[in-house]
Amino acid sequence: MIKLPRILQQSTTFAALAALCASLTLGEDISSPIDVTAKTSRTIPISLSGYPSEIEQVLSFDLSVVGFDIVSAGKGQFELRGSADPAVKGALLETGAAQPRFSRIYAGGGIRTQAHALADDVVKEVLKLPGIARTRIAYRSATGERGVHHDIISEIYVSDYDGANSGAITQDHSIAAAPCWVPGQLKVLYTSYRSGYPDIYTQDLTTGTRSLFARYNGLNTSAAVSPDGTKVAMILSRTGSPSLWVANIDGSNPKQLTKTPAPGYEASPCWSPDSRTICFTSTAEGKAQLYTISPSGGTMTRLRTGGILQCTEPDWSPDGKYIAFTRATGEFTIYVVPSGGGDAQPLVAGEDPCWSPNSRTIVFTRGRDPSRRLSLLDVPTRRVKDVTRISGSCSQPSWTR
Amino acid sequence: MNSLAKFGLLILTLAALAGAGCKKKPANITPLPGQSAPSGLTDLGQSPIRPGSGANKGSINPGTPFNTGGGTQSNPNPFGVSDPNGTSGRNGVGSNPDGTGGPGDRPDGSKAEDRETLKSDTVYFEYDRSVVKGSGLASIGAVADYLKSHPDNDLVVEGHCDERGTEEYNRALGERRALAIRERLINLGIAGSRITTISYGKDRPAELGHDEASWAKNRRGEFVLLGGPAKVGSLK
Repeated sequence: MIKLPRILQQSTTFAALAALCASLTLGEDISSPIDVTAKTSRTIPISLSGYPSEIEQVLSFDLSVVGFDIVSAGKGQFELRGSADPAVKGALLETGAAQPRFSRIYAGGGIRTQAHALADDVVKEVLKLPGIARTRIAYRSATGERGVHHDIISEIYVSDYDGANSGAITQDHSIAAAPCWVPGQLKVLYTSYRSGYPDIYTQDLTTGTRSLFARYNGLNTSAAVSPDGTKVAMILSRTGSPSLWVANIDGSNPKQLTKTPAPGYEASPCWSPDSRTICFTSTAEGKAQLYTISPSGGTMTRLRTGGILQCTEPDWSPDGKYIAFTRATGEFTIYVVPSGGGDAQPLVAGEDPCWSPNSRTIVFTRGRDPSRRLSLLDVPTRRVKDVTRISGSCSQPSWTR
Repeated sequence: MNSLAKFGLLILTLAALAGAGCKKKPANITPLPGQSAPSGLTDLGQSPIRPGSGANKGSINPGTPFNTGGGTQSNPNPFGVSDPNGTSGRNGVGSNPDGTGGPGDRPDGSKAEDRETLKSDTVYFEYDRSVVKGSGLASIGAVADYLKSHPDNDLVVEGHCDERGTEEYNRALGERRALAIRERLINLGIAGSRITTISYGKDRPAELGHDEASWAKNRRGEFVLLGGPAKVGSLK
């Protein structure tokens, strides 16, 4: 175990050096900074050869999700050649180049994980981005059952980002909603009606231990943990209307940030990556719009969205540049706006946007009950792929960061 | 034990050798955390799970019964919640002694629920609105009259929404609707301490259709009496 950091460091350094060399010798830089206002980026053709079908499936999914086109041999700009017996190997070849961009063997972690790691290396090499293939998501899944008073019975699930290895972390046979990961930890906050009322719980997934986070009179929901892991923004109605509150990560020192008079109210907070600003929905000026406020208090400021109203569910990209949100006009559409405000651009039909840790992909919900499903949007190419292998009517995805 | 110890020593030695090998030469082998590694590499951990950039380890443990913080376990929650299971007791924190501000204490479960008596007084709302209008005002008046003549009954106001809002937005909107009804009841002379609220957002629809007829029936505030059916004429 003592060797762990050194080995990790070495492989990271090695990969970084390789990436640096590659970027120095690369003539055309096909990676591009993500500019959502630009026309969609082109996809990158790549062929896969030598892999058994299970591994090819994993690689195909991982690579197409981030904008690669899987093409037949000889037709790609790149070829990923290798095998998976007994471990996954891969050499990334570029058409016309004498030397492979890299050639690696993967050890440990199981064959699927090895394939994900290879995909991440391809992404790092070609797109100059950390990959997402070994990240996880939490989400709400409605089982299809209805409770005594027609409640939509739902539980919180976690799975790999592609839907593999899914499992329920609640078994309450109640309404569960709004999961949110604690950054860098196997810990999730969520809302559950298991007591009969909506409360916020925090649950450690390594031990299965859960504890109450907030149970005030009225509504306790929409927990959002700050990226620095020190604070939780949430919606409480304990003083008479659904308002934005912030508390320490252990639940102490809850503070009311907004005091919007009725009929106004607040909903669905999220954090800027530097943990210094909260973005949220408010109906303070009529229809739902986005606002920002400091977690230490002060006045709330409207975020300009180019006249787009009914903005809910904001999610701030980890690189700080954009805020994705759901416009709810009966139909749901995911928009994105520069985090400083500006013209909002429609991205895709759906709701519940949540950015990937590398700020390139958005996981979101599409369809409607009882058959909602999670999908992955590659923002630069606008390509959408469903998260497979998960059951129930799924919504409210939260991506590990 | 002796042979086991020897075996352990051998493994340690091999691991150290493997580690030393790695140290000298950054091979093109990329070790991953997870199951035991082939080809003499040191296993890097127990879990293939890697949430983001975090330094966490260990596997997800969804199957164990939840320890909800009772008993000897310290409860990090400083909110004065004495019953983490939520099965008994009022909150104590967040309650409003004057009963006019917050949503009112949650019932302690000792009073029977009656969902029938005030069913016909259900209040309906316009799309995306929480202001009570028209026949809703008369319904609330009737509920206020009932509560005045039945002082032993408390009330839960449930707020609901149609499916056209997003989930968490609707949870807030449903609470706002329930609170709007509660405020009107207080204005009509009912003690706020008798009325609590709960929002279901769109998670308890009355109708399952995807049309205006269903939506109209789902945008509602329902009344649940606590304390069982009326003792008729008990107080006037």
